[in-house]
Amino acid sequence: MDIFFNQLLPATFFLTTIYFHLARKNFGIAIGYGIQSLAIALILLGSFFDTRSLTLLFIIILLVTFKVIIAPKFFIGLVKKHEVKFSSSAYLNLPLSLIVISVLIAVVHSRVFLPLASLVPAHSELVLLAIAGMLVSLFLVINRKGALSQIVGVLSLENSIVTFAIFSGLEQSTALQVGIMFDIAVWFVIATVFVSMIYKHFGTLDITEMKQLRD
Amino acid sequence: MLVLIASPTGFIELILFFAVGAIGALCLRKDDKLANVRSSFFAIVGSLWGTIFSVGALFALNTILFSIGTPVFPLLSVSIAIDKLSAFFILVISLVSLFCSIYGFGYVRHFYGKYSIGALGFFYNIFILGMLVVVSASNALFFLIAWESMSVASYFLVVYDRRDPNNISAGSLYLVMTYIGTACIVLAFLMLYKFTGSFDFTIIKTMMGTIPDWIKNVVFVLAVVGFGTKAGIIPFHGWLPSAHPAAPSHVSALMSGVMIKTGIYMMIRLFLDILSPIPEWWGLSLLIIGSISSLLGVLYALTEHDIKRLLAYHSIENIGIILLGLGAALTFTSLGIHSLALLGLVAALFHTLNHATFKSLLFLSSGSVINQMHTRNMEEYGGLIKYMPQTALFFLVGSMAISALPPFNGFFSEWLTFQTLFQGIASLDFYAKWIFVGAAAVLAFTGGLALACFVKVFSATFLARPRSSEVAHAKEAPFSMRFGMGALAVLSLLLGIYSGHISAVLGYVGRDVSIFHDVPALFLSSEAGRLVVGNFSSVSAPVLFALLLVVLVVTWGVVRFFVYKKQEIHTGITWDCGTDLTPRMEITATGFSRSIISIFKSVLKPSMQHAVEYHDAVSRYLPKTRTVTLGVRDMYRLYLYEPINGFVVRLSRYVKRLQNGIINAYMLYMFVVLLVVLFLAVR
Repeated sequence: MDIFFNQLLPATFFLTTIYFHLARKNFGIAIGYGIQSLAIALILLGSFFDTRSLTLLFIIILLVTFKVIIAPKFFIGLVKKHEVKFSSSAYLNLPLSLIVISVLIAVVHSRVFLPLASLVPAHSELVLLAIAGMLVSLFLVINRKGALSQIVGVLSLENSIVTFAIFSGLEQSTALQVGIMFDIAVWFVIATVFVSMIYKHFGTLDITEMKQLRD
Repeated sequence: MLVLIASPTGFIELILFFAVGAIGALCLRKDDKLANVRSSFFAIVGSLWGTIFSVGALFALNTILFSIGTPVFPLLSVSIAIDKLSAFFILVISLVSLFCSIYGFGYVRHFYGKYSIGALGFFYNIFILGMLVVVSASNALFFLIAWESMSVASYFLVVYDRRDPNNISAGSLYLVMTYIGTACIVLAFLMLYKFTGSFDFTIIKTMMGTIPDWIKNVVFVLAVVGFGTKAGIIPFHGWLPSAHPAAPSHVSALMSGVMIKTGIYMMIRLFLDILSPIPEWWGLSLLIIGSISSLLGVLYALTEHDIKRLLAYHSIENIGIILLGLGAALTFTSLGIHSLALLGLVAALFHTLNHATFKSLLFLSSGSVINQMHTRNMEEYGGLIKYMPQTALFFLVGSMAISALPPFNGFFSEWLTFQTLFQGIASLDFYAKWIFVGAAAVLAFTGGLALACFVKVFSATFLARPRSSEVAHAKEAPFSMRFGMGALAVLSLLLGIYSGHISAVLGYVGRDVSIFHDVPALFLSSEAGRLVVGNFSSVSAPVLFALLLVVLVVTWGVVRFFVYKKQEIHTGITWDCGTDLTPRMEITATGFSRSIISIFKSVLKPSMQHAVEYHDAVSRYLPKTRTVTLGVRDMYRLYLYEPINGFVVRLSRYVKRLQNGIINAYMLYMFVVLLVVLFLAVR
C-alpha cells in the first residue's frame, strides 16, 4: 500500500503536470486535470485510513465531486459548446519547454529548497516533488497562449499546493481542510465566470487575441 | 490671561477657526458671495487669533505641549510642541494671513461667476491651517501629514485659474517638484528613525548621540534638498517663478511671503536644534547656496517683464539672504562661538519676518494693478500713479523695503546679516574667511541690483506715460484691498523704526534654542531705539528716520524757495525734433535692464531677435516698425531639468515595454520575482 500511496500516486500527480505541457488537445488537458485531482483524492484517502477523520472524508468526497467529476466535465462541455479551437501554441517550442522544466526540477533539488525539504525528513523527496509541481504548473500558465490551458495551469498549481501541504504533514490541520473546501468552491466559481466572460467579450479563448486589454 | 491664551486650548481654537472656515466655504459653494464672506471671515478671525496666540506663546514661560496618541498607529501621534521658535513662525504666518485675507475679501470678487469661490475658500483655509500645523508639529509623521495638506492645498490654489493652460502646467511642475522634495524629507526622517526608533522630534534630539556622523551628513543633504525645494533655493527653484504668479494674488503673497519660510523653519529646527552638534561644512555649504541663490535670483528678476514672475525671482533672492544668516549661524555653532551664531540666527529670523511683510505687500499691490490691467506684462503699464495713487504709494514702500533702504525693515535685517558676515571675516580661519568675504560681497552686490530692479519696476509701472489704452480705465482698488496693502506698508515701516526692539525680541526667541541658552541677553539689545550688537556695532532707526525726514524737508524747502522763487513758469510744447511725445519714446522695462543683462551675459545667456516691417517690401528703404525682442534662456531648465526629464522619459519608454498587455508576461514577472526572493531568502 505504501508504494501505491507514496510512490505511484505522487508520480501520477507529477506526470500529469508534465503531461499538460505535452497535451495537444483541450480534451486531454481536462481529462488530465481529472486524473491529477483523483490522484490527490486518493492520497488524501490514504491519510483517512490512518486517521479515520470524518472531516477528511467529507473533504475527499467534495474534492472528488468537484475536481474529479464536475470540473473536467465542465471544461469538456465548454470546449464542445463553444467549439473552442485547440490552441496548442506556446511561446516556447516543446524541446525548449522540456529544457525549462528540467531546469526547474533541478532548481527544486538544489540547496535553495533544502530548508523546505528538511521540514519532513521522511517525505523530503515527496515535498520536493510537490514544489516541482508548483513551478512546472506556474510555467504552464506562463508558456501557454490558450486561456483554458492557463486556467488548468492555475488549478494544477493549486493541486500542487494541496499536495505539498499533505506531504508536509499538514493534512490533519482543520485550517487546511477548511481551506481545501473553500478553494474548491472558489476556484470553481472563478473558473466558470472567467472562461464565460472571456469568451463572451472576445469570442475566443486565445489570449494573443486579447491585446486590446492594454488600452 | 497669558496662560489662557497660550494654551493647548488656544491652539485647538486656532485650528478650528480655519477648519470651520474651510468646511463652511465648501457648504456655501453655490452662493459665491456667501462663500466669500464665510471663508474670509473665518480666515480673518483665525489669523487675528493666531497673532494674539503667538504673541502669548512668545512670552509664555513654558513650551506649549500636547499629544494625542492613536493606538492603531503607535508611531503616529498628534504631537504639538510650540516653543518660542514655533511661536515666532506662527506669528509671521498669522500676521501675513490676516492682511492677505482682508485683501482677498475684495480681490476674489472678480472671480464671481467664473470659478467656485467655495473651493477657493476651502483650499485657502486648509492652506493656512497646514502651514500653522507644520511649524507646530513635533512628530515627523504628523508633520508630513500637515506638510502634504499644505502642499496639496497650495497646488489647487495654483491651478485655480484653470482656463489658462500655463497655470495647469505651472501647477504640475510645482506638484512634481514638491513630491521630489517630500521624498527626500521622508527618507531623511526614515534614516533618523532607523537609529533612534522614534519619529518624535524630542526623542530624536535626545538620542542624537546614537546616530553616526555620516548618517547625519546624509540627513543634512536630504533635508537641504527637501526643504530647499520648498524654500526655492537654486537649483531647486524651477517651480517657483511659474507657480507663484499662477495663483490668485493674495495666495501668491502667502506662498511667497510665508509658505516658502516653512522650509527655512524646518532647516533651523533640524540643523540648530535637533541634529546639534554639527560639522563646519554644513554652515559653509548653506552660505555658498545662499550666495548663489541671492545673486542669481536678483539677476533673473532683472530680466523679467512679467511683474509677478519678477517678484517670485526676488523671493529666491531673499531666501538666499536668509540662508546667509542661517549658514553663518551654523558655522559659528560648529565652532562653538554661540553669541555670533545667535546673531546669525536673529538676522535670518528678522529677514524672514521682513520678507514676509514686504513681499506680501508687493504681491498684493501687483495684484491690484493686474486686476485693473488684465495683464502681468509691465511693458503695457506706465503712468498708473495718476489712476492708482494709493496702490503706487504702497508699492513704493514695498520697493524701498525690499531694496534695503532705511528706515524700512529690509535695511535692518540685511544690516544684521552684514554684521554677522563681518564678524566671520574677522574671526575665522583662511578658507571659511574667504567664503564669508564672498557672501558679504554678494550681499552688497545683490542689494544694489535689487534697487536697480525696483527702480525699473516702479518707473515702468507707475511713472511716465501710459503704454496701453487699458491704463486710462484703471481705477483705485476697493477699500478692503487698500486696507490690506496699507497695513502691510505701515508694518514695513514700523518693523524698521522699532528694529532695535524687534531684534531684542528675536534674540529672546533664539536663546530658547537649547544651544543658545548660555548667550547673555545683552548681546542683542535695544538702547533708546538703537539696535546694539555686542560691543562692536549699532544702528539707530529713529535717527535714520529723522534724518530721512530732514533730508526730505530740506530738499522740498530748497526746491520751493531757491528754484521756484520769483520764477515764472511757462508751459510749452517740448522740443522733440518736430514730433509729438509718445509712450514709444520712453525707456521700457526691458530696455532699462538691457545694460545690466549685457554685463552678466555669460551667466544669463541673453538672446536678441530683430524684426523689421517695411512700408515697401520690395525696396526696403523705409522701415515701418522695428521690434527688438530680448529673451533670457532658462539655464536650469536647459542644462538641469530638461536632461533629467529626457532621461526619465527614455527610462519610462523602456519600462513601458514591460506593460505589454500579455498575461503570460505578467505571470513571468511574478515567477522570476518568486525565484529571486527564494534565492535571496536562502542566501
